[in-house]
Amino acid sequence: MGTDVPLACLSDRPQPLFNYFKQLFAQVTNPPIDPIREELVMSLISYIGTERNILDEAPENCHTLKLPHPILTNRDLEKLRRVSSGDLLATTLQALFRAEDGEDGLRHSLEDLSDRASHAVNSGYTLLILSDRGVDATHAPIPSLLAMAAVHNRLVREKTRTQVALIIESGEPREVMHFALLIGYGASAINPYLAIETIHDLKHRGLLPADVTAEKAEYNFIKAINKGLLKTFSKMGISTLQSYRGAQVFEAVGLNKSLVDAYFSGTASRIEGVGLGVLAREAQMKHAYAFQPLTDSETELVVGGHYQYREGGEYHLINPLTISKVQHAVRTNNPATFQEYTDLIDGQNRNLCTLRGLLKLKYDEQPIPLEEVEEAKEIVKRFTTGAMSFGSISKEAHETLAIAMNRIGGMSNTGEGGEDEERFKRDANGDLRRSAVKQVASGRFGVTTNYLVNADELQIKMAQGAKPGEGGQLPGHKVDEVIAKVRHSIPGVGLISPPPHHDIYSIEDLAQLIYDLKNVNPQARIAVKLVSEVGVGTVAAGVAKAHADVVLISGDSGGTGASPLSSIKHAGLPWELGLAETQQVLLLNDLRSRIKVQTDGKLQTGRDVVIAALLGAEEYGFATMPLISMGCIMMRKCHLNTCAVGIATQDPVLRARFQGQPEHVVNFFFFIAEQMRQHMAKLGFRTVDEMVGRVDKIDAAIAHAHWKAKGIDLESILYAPTLPSRVARRCVQAQDHGLAAALDHALIAKAEPTLDHHTPVTGAFNIRNVHRTVGAMLGGEIARRYGSAGLPDGSLHFRFTGSAGQSFGAFVPSGVTLELEGDTNDYLGKGLSGGRVIAYPPKTSSFLPEESILVGNVVLYGATSGEVFLNGIAGERFAVRNSGATAVVEGVGDHGCEYMTNGLVVVLGATGRNFAAGMSGGIAYVYDDAGDFPTRRCNKASVDLEPLVISEDIEKVRGLLERHRDLTGSPRAAWILEHWADAQPKFIKVFPHEYKRVLGVARPSEVAKRAEAPANSSPRVAAAEVQHG
Amino acid sequence: MGKVTGFLEIQREQPTRRKSDERIRDWFEIYEPFPEEKQREQSARCMDCGVPFCHTGCPVNNLIPDWNDLAYTGRWEAAIRRLHATNNFPEFTGRICPAPCEAACVLGINQPAVSIKLIERSIVERAWDEGFIQPEPPVQATGKKVAVVGSGPAGLAAAQQLRRAGHTVTVYEKADRIGGLLRYGIPNFKLEKHVVDRRINQMRAEGVKFETNAHVGVNIPVDQLTDQYDAILLAGGAEHPRDLKIPGRELKGIHFAMEFLPQQNRRNEGETVPESLAILATGKRVLIIGGGDTGADCLGTSHRQGAKIVHQWEIMPKPPEQRASSTPWPLWPLQLRTESSHEEGGIRDWSINSIRFTGDADGNVTQVHAVRVGPPPKFEPVTGSEFTTDVDLVLLAMGFLGPVKNGMIDQLGLALDPRGNVHCDTSYMTSKEGIFAAGDMRRGQSLVVWAISEGRKAAAAIDNYLAAKTESLRQVHRIHA
Repeated sequence: MGTDVPLACLSDRPQPLFNYFKQLFAQVTNPPIDPIREELVMSLISYIGTERNILDEAPENCHTLKLPHPILTNRDLEKLRRVSSGDLLATTLQALFRAEDGEDGLRHSLEDLSDRASHAVNSGYTLLILSDRGVDATHAPIPSLLAMAAVHNRLVREKTRTQVALIIESGEPREVMHFALLIGYGASAINPYLAIETIHDLKHRGLLPADVTAEKAEYNFIKAINKGLLKTFSKMGISTLQSYRGAQVFEAVGLNKSLVDAYFSGTASRIEGVGLGVLAREAQMKHAYAFQPLTDSETELVVGGHYQYREGGEYHLINPLTISKVQHAVRTNNPATFQEYTDLIDGQNRNLCTLRGLLKLKYDEQPIPLEEVEEAKEIVKRFTTGAMSFGSISKEAHETLAIAMNRIGGMSNTGEGGEDEERFKRDANGDLRRSAVKQVASGRFGVTTNYLVNADELQIKMAQGAKPGEGGQLPGHKVDEVIAKVRHSIPGVGLISPPPHHDIYSIEDLAQLIYDLKNVNPQARIAVKLVSEVGVGTVAAGVAKAHADVVLISGDSGGTGASPLSSIKHAGLPWELGLAETQQVLLLNDLRSRIKVQTDGKLQTGRDVVIAALLGAEEYGFATMPLISMGCIMMRKCHLNTCAVGIATQDPVLRARFQGQPEHVVNFFFFIAEQMRQHMAKLGFRTVDEMVGRVDKIDAAIAHAHWKAKGIDLESILYAPTLPSRVARRCVQAQDHGLAAALDHALIAKAEPTLDHHTPVTGAFNIRNVHRTVGAMLGGEIARRYGSAGLPDGSLHFRFTGSAGQSFGAFVPSGVTLELEGDTNDYLGKGLSGGRVIAYPPKTSSFLPEESILVGNVVLYGATSGEVFLNGIAGERFAVRNSGATAVVEGVGDHGCEYMTNGLVVVLGATGRNFAAGMSGGIAYVYDDAGDFPTRRCNKASVDLEPLVISEDIEKVRGLLERHRDLTGSPRAAWILEHWADAQPKFIKVFPHEYKRVLGVARPSEVAKRAEAPANSSPRVAAAEVQHG
Repeated sequence: MGKVTGFLEIQREQPTRRKSDERIRDWFEIYEPFPEEKQREQSARCMDCGVPFCHTGCPVNNLIPDWNDLAYTGRWEAAIRRLHATNNFPEFTGRICPAPCEAACVLGINQPAVSIKLIERSIVERAWDEGFIQPEPPVQATGKKVAVVGSGPAGLAAAQQLRRAGHTVTVYEKADRIGGLLRYGIPNFKLEKHVVDRRINQMRAEGVKFETNAHVGVNIPVDQLTDQYDAILLAGGAEHPRDLKIPGRELKGIHFAMEFLPQQNRRNEGETVPESLAILATGKRVLIIGGGDTGADCLGTSHRQGAKIVHQWEIMPKPPEQRASSTPWPLWPLQLRTESSHEEGGIRDWSINSIRFTGDADGNVTQVHAVRVGPPPKFEPVTGSEFTTDVDLVLLAMGFLGPVKNGMIDQLGLALDPRGNVHCDTSYMTSKEGIFAAGDMRRGQSLVVWAISEGRKAAAAIDNYLAAKTESLRQVHRIHA
C-alpha cells in the first residue's frame, strides 16, 4: 500500500543521497514503453570513451569501448583499470573525505576530486574511475552520486566533459534506483563492489541454493539490475541507455537551491531543503556507526525497518498502533478512539514524515458555531475510494466498499477489472453493489458498452500512484472463474496491463478518448487520473482543455502493495506538491472553473483533507484507510494471494475469513467528516465550497529545530496568484464536450423504430473525418435499454461513404452493423461490444485493396466481442488487448495482436514485427506468403506456431474468408478460397501457451518429453508418439 | 518468513505436558520434548507480516519474524544471534512469559496464533546444547564502575549489557543465591534452577561480579555504593505485598505467597526448612486468595506438597472463554486462562470476597467466611450469598503494591511516583543524579519480560550517562536497548 515512511529530507535517520530523488515518468506527454513485451526496441548497449565530433566521420570516432550493459563486475573493473590501448586510458580517482572535518571537509574533497579529474583529462586519460575504496577509520566515502555530479559539472564547465567517460566504483549502489540515478547523472558504467562481494559472501556462508554458484548469483544480480533499469527508462518512454545517460530524468525533493545549482543543475527541486552540511553529517553518522568498536554480541546490523516495520527502525505512518486504533474506532463507532488515532498521525512533531505535517492551519480568533457548519452527511458525498480492482482484492472486499460508498452518497471505483453485471441492480436488502466510478485503464479489462453506461463517472487512469509509468500484472493464479468472466478473459491466464494506453500517445489522443467515453455515456463525468510530479500542472491544464470533467492528482504514498519496491519508494511525488501546482496552473489559465479537482494519497485524518481542500481539491480519495477499516493489517503479501484477512486474495478459504462490514467504512468517513467540521468551524468556513483553494489559511510553519527540515521552504505550495474575482477557485460550470455536432444524433433518430419496437432499420450516410466516434452514442443508448445482450443480429445496418474520423465503430454493441465504403483514421472498433464493422475501399478505386492501407492504428483496442471485416491493410497494434472479437484483415503493421487474451484474428497478408507480443489467449491465423513470419516477424515468447491442419480450424478459417469475401468483395479472399489447396499450407496458426494450457492441449516440448520418458517402450512407439504431436 | 503457505497448511501445535498425576509427584519441568521437525513446522506458520504486531506487542521487541524464518531454515546459530539482539534471557521468557506476542500475532486474528514462545525456547535450548552460547566478555574496559542492586531479571539484564560494554559491574543480592524471583518465587516446575545457573555462569565468565547476602541499606550501607561507583542501578523489585486486613488476619496459617513459595525452592536445592518456620500444604485444606500467576504457582506447589484440597478464589468476575470484546486484538486479552497448575487440580472460583477468618483455640485458622460480590469497581456483596469454607492454610497472592520502602530507597531519599514506585525521568534516572532504577522497582509489579526490557534500556541510559561525563568514552559504542 504504497510508501508511508518519511521523505528523506524529513527523516531523522541518515539517508543515502539517492533517496532525495524521485523518478520522473511519462504522463500524457508521451507513452511509456513495455520493456518486457517490447524488448525489441530496448537496449542497454553503450559505447563509452571520448565522444568526438559526430559530424566528422573519422575512424577515431569508433575508438570507444562497447559495453553490453552498464554494470561491471570486480574483474571487469580491474581489466578496465589497467587498460592502456590507443585512446582508452584509465585512471582511478579516490572519492573520500575526512569524516571529522564535516561539511568543510566534504566541500574541500569535492573540489580536490574535481581538480584531479580536470588534471587527468588534460593528461590524456579517457576513462576516469571515481572510487570510494579505501574507507578507513578517518576517511568516509563521498556519496557516489555527489562525486559523480561534482566531476561531471566541473568538466562541463571546462568544456571537456565529452572527452572522458566517468565510471563509478562504489560500495553504495545496490538497488535499481541507485544505478538509475548514477547513470541519469552521467555514469557510463558502475561497479557495485560491495553488493558483489556480499553475494560471494552469501555463497561462502552456504546461504545460497547448492546449484547456484557465486558466478551465477552474480550474473543473476546483474541481470536483475539491468531488467530494473529497462523498467525505469521505459517509464519515461525512453528505450535506450544511451538516451537515459545524462538525461537527469529525476526530480529532487528536499535539496536546497545552492546544492542543486552546484551539482545537479537543471533538476527541479521545489521546496528547497538540505545542503552540503546535512549530507556531510549523514555521511559522518554512518561512518561513526561503522567504526564504533564492537563487542562480540553486537554484530547484528540495525534493523532498518524501511520496508517492513520494525521498532526502533524507520517511522511509518501505518504502524501497529495506528492500525489497531482506527480499527477499534470504526468497529465500536467510538469518536474518542478515532481522535487518538488521528492525534498520532497529525502530531508529527516528533516524527516528521510528510510535507503536510510541516503546515499549520491559521485558525480564526473566534470559531463559528459548529452547528452552522455544513453537515457531515453532505461532506461525505465528496469522498471516493481508490481504484482497487476486483482481482487485486476479493469480491467481498470490493462489494463492501461499493455498498458503503453508495450508502453515504460517495463513490467507489471498479479499478481495472471490469464489474459483474449483476451488481448493477439493487439487492433485495436495499444494498447497491454497483461501483459509481468505472475505470478505463490501459488493459481495458471488461470495458464493454454496458459497463460504461452503468456508471456515474468514467475514470481514465493515465498513471497510478504506486507505480506511475508502469502497467501491471494479475498473475494467473489469482484469475479464477469469476474474475475471468468479469474481465472477459479465461481462468488461469495471466492478465497484463500495458504501461501506456495504446490509444493515448499525446494530449490530443486523450481528448479523443474523453470524447469517446462521453459519447457512450453522456450523463457520466469523465475523469482523468494523473500522478503528482513536476509538470503535472501543465498536463492538468491540457486535461481541462481536453474537456475532462474531473482531474485526479494522486500522490506517491498511496497505491497498491503489489507493486515493485523500486516504484513504491522512488517514483511519484507527494500530492501536496502536485495539487498545489495543478491549482495554480489551472487558475492562471482560467481553466479551474470548469473542472473538478480531486486528490488522494494516504489521506488519513480530517486535517489531511482540510489541507487538501485549502490547497485546491474539492473531492478526496481514500484507499488504504478504508481497507484498514475493513480489516487490512498491512501484511504486504498482496501479490502472493495469501492475504490472511481475506481482502487481497481470491483464495476461497481466506475470503471466508473476511470480517469487514460496510458500517466500518461508513463510520470511518463520518469520523473524517466530523473532524473536518471541527477544523472548518475554527477556520471560519461554513461550507467546503468556501474552503477550496484558500491557501491564505495555511501557514508554512517550519520546524526550525529539526536538522533537516529547517531548510525546507513551502512558500511555493502556498502561492496564490492575484486574479480578477470572476476567476473561480473551484468548479462552477460544466464542460462543453461538443456532443451536439455528433453524427450519432442522426443515427439514433433513424434507429428509433428499432430502439422502441425492434423493427429492423437500414440507413445511408455520408461521412467525413470530423465525424468521430461514430456508433458510440448509439451503442450507449442500446446498452442503456437492453444491457449487454444488445439487439438481435441485423437490427440496424448503416452504410457510410467517405473518410471516417477517429474511433469509427467504437463501443458498438450486438445488433448493429456499420458498413463503410472509404477509409478510416485510428481506433476503429475500439471497445467493440458485439457489433459488426465492415470496411472496403471505394468501388471505383483502382489500387489493389490487399496492398493498400485502409484503416489506421490501434484497431479493436479492448474489444470484447463482435466482428470486423477489413478489405485492406491496417496500421500498428492491430487488435491490441483484444478480449474476444473476431477480425479478418489483409495485412497489419508492427505489434499485431499484442496482449490479446481472447478472440480470433485472420491476417491475409504480411504482418509487421513483434506480432503476438504478450499474447496470452485467443488464436490468430496468418497467411505467410513470404515465409518469414516465424523467423522475422513473430514474437514467439508466449506463443507456439503451428500449421493449419486441424479440420475444425480449417472450417473456421474458410468460413470467415467466405464471409469476408461476401461482405467486402475482397479479391484476395476470393483468390485464397479458389486456390485453397495451395493456400492452406501457407497459413500459420498462432497459439498462445497459456491458452493451450487452459484448453488442455499439450505443447510440442511436453509431447517430446513424454516420448523420452518411458524407458521400456520400444523406439518405434516413441517415434510414433512424437509424430502425432 | 517461514513458508508462504505455511499458515494454511500447518496447524498450531504445542509440546505435550506430562500427565498431571505423574508430574505432581516431582518438581521438574512439565513439558515433553518437542522434535526439531515439529519446531520447524511451527515456525513455518509465520507470515512475515509487513507490519509485525508480535514484534511491537513484545515488551523487548523481539525480532520475531526474523528468527522464525531462521528457525524454519534450520539456521540455529544465526537464530540465537538474532534472538539475543533483543533478549538476554530467552530461556526464561521461553518458559514463563505469558506471551503478549502471541496475543498480538496477526494470524491470531482468525486462526490460532503462531507458537512464538515455543520457537523462542527451541532456539535458545538448541543454542545451549550446541555450544553456540559462549561468554562474551568486553574487548575494552572503560574504567567505569557500576553497581546493580538486585539480581532478578532486570538487574541481571542490565548487568550483562553494561559488562559487555566494558564497564566493571558488581551485582548486590540480599539473598544467598542469585536470581531474585527467578530463584526464589517461581516454582521449579515452571523454571528449573539449573537453567538460571547456566546463564549466571556465562555472566560470571564475562566478568560480572556477584555479592550475595549483601542487603544494601541493611548490612551494606548505601554510601559504600555511592562512594565507590560511578553509577548505581536499583533493581530490587516490588516486593511489598498487598495484604488482606480483615478480622482474623493474625491467626496462624495465613501467609503471603512469597513466604510460602521460596521455601519450596530451597527444599528443592536440598536445604531443610526448620519445622517452626515451615509452611507446608501437606494434608491440608488450602485456600489461595488471588487468581493470578502467583496464585497458580501456589496451586501447583500445594498439589506437589500433597494438599488435601485446594481452592483458588478471585474477587474479579470470571473472564470470558474467548477474548473479551473490551480487549480486542492486538491487545492483551481479558480471557480465562487455564495454566498447567489448574490442569492438575484445585477448585477455582470468582467474584468472591473474603470477609473474616476464624480459628481454633490454639490460634490456627480453621474457617474463612466469604461473600459473593458484583463486578468492579463497587464489588457489591450479593445479599444472602455468604458462605463458609474450612481451611487449614491460607495463601495471600493478591499482587504487590510496589517496592519495599524503608531501606535503601528512604536512605537515599529518592522521590516516589504517585503509585509508590521509584520515580525516574525518561532516562531511568531517579531524583538523585547517578542513581537509576529499573524493573518492578520503577514500574510496579510486572512480567519477567518487562524486567528484561527495563534492564536493557536502563543499561543503555547508564552507558550514555557515563559517556556524556567522560570525553574518552564518547567514541565508544552505545548499547542498543
